[in-house]
Amino acid sequence: MENTRQNTGRTGNEYIINIEHLNKQFLVDKQPIEVLRDINLQVKKGEFITIVGHSGCGKSTLLKIMCGLVSYEDGTVERNGHAVAGPGPKCGMVFQDHRLLPWLKIKDNVGFGLRHLSKEEKEQQVKEHLELVGLKDFANSYPSQLSGGMSQRAAIARGLANKPTILLLDEPFGALDALTRIQMQKEILRIQEEQGTTMVMITHDIDEAIYLGNRIVVMSARPGEIKEIIKTDPVESKKRDSILFAKYKKKIYDYFFEDTEEEHDVAYVI
Amino acid sequence: MKTGKYILVALIVPVIILVLWYIATTFGSLPASILPGQQMVGNAFIEMTSNGQLQGDLMISLVRVVKGFLASAITGVFLGSVMGMSSKMQNLLLPTITVIRQIPMVAWIPLIILWSGIGESSKVIIIMIAAVFPILVNTLSGIESTPDGYAEVARLYKLGKWKTFTKVYLPHALPQILVGLKLGLGVSWMAVVASELIAASTGIGYRMNEARSLMKSDKVIVCMIVIGLIGIIMDKLISLLFNQFTPWVNLQKNSK
Ligand SMILES: Nc1ncnc2c1ncn2[C@@H]1O[C@H](COP(=O)(O)OP(=O)(O)OP(=O)(O)O)[C@@H](O)[C@H]1O
Ligand SMILES: [Mg+2]
Repeated sequence: MENTRQNTGRTGNEYIINIEHLNKQFLVDKQPIEVLRDINLQVKKGEFITIVGHSGCGKSTLLKIMCGLVSYEDGTVERNGHAVAGPGPKCGMVFQDHRLLPWLKIKDNVGFGLRHLSKEEKEQQVKEHLELVGLKDFANSYPSQLSGGMSQRAAIARGLANKPTILLLDEPFGALDALTRIQMQKEILRIQEEQGTTMVMITHDIDEAIYLGNRIVVMSARPGEIKEIIKTDPVESKKRDSILFAKYKKKIYDYFFEDTEEEHDVAYVI
Repeated sequence: MKTGKYILVALIVPVIILVLWYIATTFGSLPASILPGQQMVGNAFIEMTSNGQLQGDLMISLVRVVKGFLASAITGVFLGSVMGMSSKMQNLLLPTITVIRQIPMVAWIPLIILWSGIGESSKVIIIMIAAVFPILVNTLSGIESTPDGYAEVARLYKLGKWKTFTKVYLPHALPQILVGLKLGLGVSWMAVVASELIAASTGIGYRMNEARSLMKSDKVIVCMIVIGLIGIIMDKLISLLFNQFTPWVNLQKNSK
């Protein structure tokens, strides 16, 4: 089912996502704009990867390349061992603005991608995933009747409904208040544990990146390069007041500070 | 309550008009052929309905409206969708359509009569010309205003072009298509009366014109009132129907 170019023929593909030497340019007014430079990233099964970086550094573009919504010309991008050539059911996506279709009830939104299943199977899948995100009482509501957090949960249910091996999340909690956000973070961890889905999440919240990520990908400002991939301690990173947590936080802050300082210098000269 | 108050306020102006009318015809010196009394109009109404003439005329006009409206609804939604989904088709058709739209509906009537006489088909064609544009323009704008993000969702789930249209663009455009249909129906009703006034041997517009030539101003006024009422009834009916088709729209309004 997965839309792929062709098997690259390599063996030992233990990676769900394998990106090597990926470069990406966009043409704006026929001028090439470099967005991503020499990205190398391997995502193992069951991992939770978080990505942080300046606004406009190409995080969304990277995620869309992973799921096949944006094409790439230069480098290798493999999903489940095959070169990515388009979207496929094994790869789910949750957008920043939940993008539930306003004209469909929540259950139909969650089942939107389940066209290949029989009616009973589909109903079963939808029910299961609504329960998973705690929305089973809202199956017949419309998106406009849901709060922001509930909408995001519905979007996560839609992303998981066809049982993808990997779920990509593009700042899914960006629009939520601090309390709801923390609650959603716990929820997404629980879901990941229950389903064993590999997850890659973009966030602009450094605490969130540390709390959720087994590894944190820190990106530089445009053109986006990976500055470092920080491996977190599985226990300490779940305690927001631990010393290690503060250490990670400082490390990531320092990376951003570097960039801002450079920008300040430029601003000063001008 | 609130709606009761609303109705009361809405009734103030009509009551003033009725009173002024009453004063003018009772104490003024206007001849009845210019402005008949309310009693006369009432009698004319009873006369026209008891011999079935009014109902017959209305039926004929309404059938024309239904035919013309359905034809323009199908054409307008089809062309609007095609132009909304394909920029090539839009570039091909929109300039011509924009120019044609500038010609007022009544200005078509002479040519249409030359081409197809004063029979049924000419009425239906005139209604079509009048009603197709609001429907087309609203369909087009509803399709075009679909956020790219929704189309991206369709792409993510690998919907084909037709499915993307039926599952994403069309439902997004539906509320606006309904607005277009509502406008179109109103225009259809106006168009049928106008075309019957100018060239017809049946229908409510024809009856009005005939009454005018016989100096029966009471009958003219009966026809005018009935035309206005039917217009409002059609408008309300179609609004009711539409809420059934787009249950999510009013929810959004209420939640804001
Ligand atoms: N389809 C496109 N065509 C041209 N340029 C694009 C396109 N998509 C993105 N860009 C440009 O690529 C750069 C990276 O965009 P992207 O959305 O990936 O950034 P981001 O890191 O997700 O930013 P944010 O944190 O604000 O969401 C931006 O400068 C953007 O203007
Ligand atoms: Mg982004």
